[in-house]
Amino acid sequence: MNTKRAAAYRLSTTIALVLAVLTGIEYFVALYSASAVIMFLIGLAKAYFVVNYFMHIARLWRTEGGH
Amino acid sequence: MAVATPTLDHGHATEHHHHQTGHDHGHADNYAIAWRNNRLGLWLFFLSEIFLFGGLLATRFYLWQENGVITRPEVDQLVGLIVTVVLLISSYTMNLSETALEHGDRRTFMGGLVITAILGLIFLFGVMIFEWGLFPAIYEGHLTPWGDVYGAVVFAMTGMHALHVISGLAFIAIVWNLGRQGHFSPERHWGVEACAIYWHFVDLVWIFFYPALYLIGEVVHH
Repeated sequence: MNTKRAAAYRLSTTIALVLAVLTGIEYFVALYSASAVIMFLIGLAKAYFVVNYFMHIARLWRTEGGH
Repeated sequence: MAVATPTLDHGHATEHHHHQTGHDHGHADNYAIAWRNNRLGLWLFFLSEIFLFGGLLATRFYLWQENGVITRPEVDQLVGLIVTVVLLISSYTMNLSETALEHGDRRTFMGGLVITAILGLIFLFGVMIFEWGLFPAIYEGHLTPWGDVYGAVVFAMTGMHALHVISGLAFIAIVWNLGRQGHFSPERHWGVEACAIYWHFVDLVWIFFYPALYLIGEVVHH
């Protein structure tokens, strides 16, 4: 497999794993402490990864338009 | 004076091996401008959607409280976690699909779209069966949209979200069909990027809806 493509797939997988871990933490925080603030912060962290890596918000400022 | 109007045709996968003449450069520039403008337009649309979903979220916290204590109805935690994980995996497969096309891997691109759609359908049916109780033979729900503020808010939030899941599934079906016909290439795939970003937005909304509906607050409604 092409190296660039493999690196891109690896990044996707890493982000998905980070999101899965954060979801697990969120679930257990709810079970044991039920802190709305902590859950909101975890939600914000998850949103950061989705917006930055999956939704590519940085491409908004790209001048070339393509990839 | 001739004015170039940026347009977005998706390009055919086999049409990108021509020589770069002056005309081709102009066409590519137009495509790049259109792509950038459309991207900005989509994000402005998301901004308007944030007001919609933010309003629903605010409604939940305004109505679900008693004497300053945040409350929530009794909901099946396992179902909530499962549908959340399913939607998360679907976001991953959608990202893989888009990444694959960007690197010329059409097989993973098409396969990723199909898996994403299947996971989206599982999420949708999970909501319909276990949150809405639309199929009492399988699962008897205890909330109704007209019952009280708990049911009304659950149905408003999950209903609006489900509407976006359905439109996302339609978007995926259209992109899959175009992809099957050979449209899209690593250089030209705004349609794929828009579809992927839209699907991730659906996941993004659920990132905040899931704790608001399932995790935050004291259970007061059985």
